[in-house]
Amino acid sequence: MVKIRDVRKSYNGIEVLKGVDLSVNRGEVTCLIGPSGSGKSTLLRCINHLEKHDSGELRVDDELVGYEMRNGRLYELTDKRVCQNRSRIGMVFQRFNLFQHLTVMENVTIGQMKVLGTGREDASKKSRELLARVGLKEKELSYPSQLSGGQQQRVAIARALAMDPKLMLFDEPTSALDPELVGEVLEVMNDLARSGMTMIVVTHEMGFAREVANTVYFLDGGVIEESGDPRVVLNTPSSERLKNFLSKVL
Amino acid sequence: MTANGDATVKVVPVRHYGRWVGVVIVGIFLAMVAHTLFFQVASSNVSCHQFAGARVCQHVKVWRFQWNIVGQYFFTSEILHGLLRTIILTVVAMLTGIVLGITIAVMRLSPNRVLTSVAWVYTWFFRGTPVLVQLLFWAFLGYFYPHLTLGVPFTHITFVHLNVNTSLTLMEACALGLGLNEGAYMSEIARAGLISVDEGQIEAATSLGMTRRQTLRLVIIPQAMRVIIPPTGNEVISMLKTTSLVSVVGVIDLLGAATNIYSANYEIKPLLIVASLWYLLVTTVLSTGQFYLERRFARGALRTPPPTPIQRLRTDLVGVASKFRTRRGVEVST
Repeated sequence: MVKIRDVRKSYNGIEVLKGVDLSVNRGEVTCLIGPSGSGKSTLLRCINHLEKHDSGELRVDDELVGYEMRNGRLYELTDKRVCQNRSRIGMVFQRFNLFQHLTVMENVTIGQMKVLGTGREDASKKSRELLARVGLKEKELSYPSQLSGGQQQRVAIARALAMDPKLMLFDEPTSALDPELVGEVLEVMNDLARSGMTMIVVTHEMGFAREVANTVYFLDGGVIEESGDPRVVLNTPSSERLKNFLSKVL
Repeated sequence: MTANGDATVKVVPVRHYGRWVGVVIVGIFLAMVAHTLFFQVASSNVSCHQFAGARVCQHVKVWRFQWNIVGQYFFTSEILHGLLRTIILTVVAMLTGIVLGITIAVMRLSPNRVLTSVAWVYTWFFRGTPVLVQLLFWAFLGYFYPHLTLGVPFTHITFVHLNVNTSLTLMEACALGLGLNEGAYMSEIARAGLISVDEGQIEAATSLGMTRRQTLRLVIIPQAMRVIIPPTGNEVISMLKTTSLVSVVGVIDLLGAATNIYSANYEIKPLLIVASLWYLLVTTVLSTGQFYLERRFARGALRTPPPTPIQRLRTDLVGVASKFRTRRGVEVST
């Protein structure tokens, strides 16, 4: 589903990703963990081309992200093509990023209507189903500023799901939440994982990684230090850095 | 239960003596203003009449502000036509300014250096010269460019040809001049609005698969409006008054109509008051419109929208009434 090989990326001469390899199979949940500044968010943002990687190969569903291979050359895709590809990759942000000027309902329908070209009736019907699924059926007409952080994040998940994504990316979805609200968001994500969605999650929730993830990748300093089954990686870490990191977060 | 066994204690609010003194001083001042505005004073004119066989003379009492003459001219067609021109100029110039302003602001934020530089130079030029000078320039455009042609530079290919002296009216020239000048100011306002929108909103729109244009139209501009509208309202009101400059180049706007009349009959004071009152009246209508527009675009940004003036008046009245009921202290049950 996702294949990443030797991806590099630097900002102003500082290399943030120093050749990362990663692969995710359909229906699998992958967690990226690591200290802040280790490049996990950058890697995630490269996958839906919010950031352009400098070199290496990045494929989603066997298609190159942001580029096209023709006659042995890489051509940058036009804005429109990039947007089409992106619409099938859902993304959930740390700071929710709900559209502040739209109601909950409008937040969930806008992508369907404006990007996918779905009619209002169908979009609304689908949005209601999704809002019910994340437990916010009665908040349709609220504005994001009237909701708690946990509720906003659940709307953000519904908004991403409305695009029928084949892959969902989560960028520290619970880091901006009050501790008592983390559970409700993790529950929705858990539910999503059980339904067979392919997910890549940048997280500090080791409990979630342990219970839900099929694979855990530990990034540090722009490289993957350790990866594998979460029960193995998290319980018996082999590298000093991971031991050190786990002793801080657990 | 309190120490002395009462079931209730009285709370006495703090008395603000300083404020009361202030209110008295302001009250006296208001009375003076009312007096000078609405009471008649003796003029230098004397009128005489026969009374019981004797000739009695006395100074004629008049309003200092000559309200009777103000009333006489308030609705004359010349003034109303001038007012109409003022309003048309304001609307056309502001529409031009807003469209230009948003265009230039978007150019200014473009990643392309040529576009940003052109936008910067535009703002630099039109903010850097007085609007009156610009108006004179546009009014006398025919001296600089008797003919305007649209074609390919350095060749003989032309698409459009225009005789400036015959086809550009003074009114159009003024609307153009004011609009271009306004564009420079509006671009700064629009730019402030556009950059006030959180980058996360743009990322969210992008990751939903919206194109740059869709993101701008559906996500950025609607949210920027909340920041753009208050200063734009200010600009509209400012423009309404700036249009009075066009009387200098000979357009008969509201002020032009008033000066035309008083240069014929020397009723300078009342006619200036007529013009001022009309400006005030239109400004009041515009401010009210601005309030409701701001309220609409604040959707989602505020948990509770601010009350309308009518709602506020109602709560004030209820507040005053309850204050009178409990003037002697609030009863607090314990």
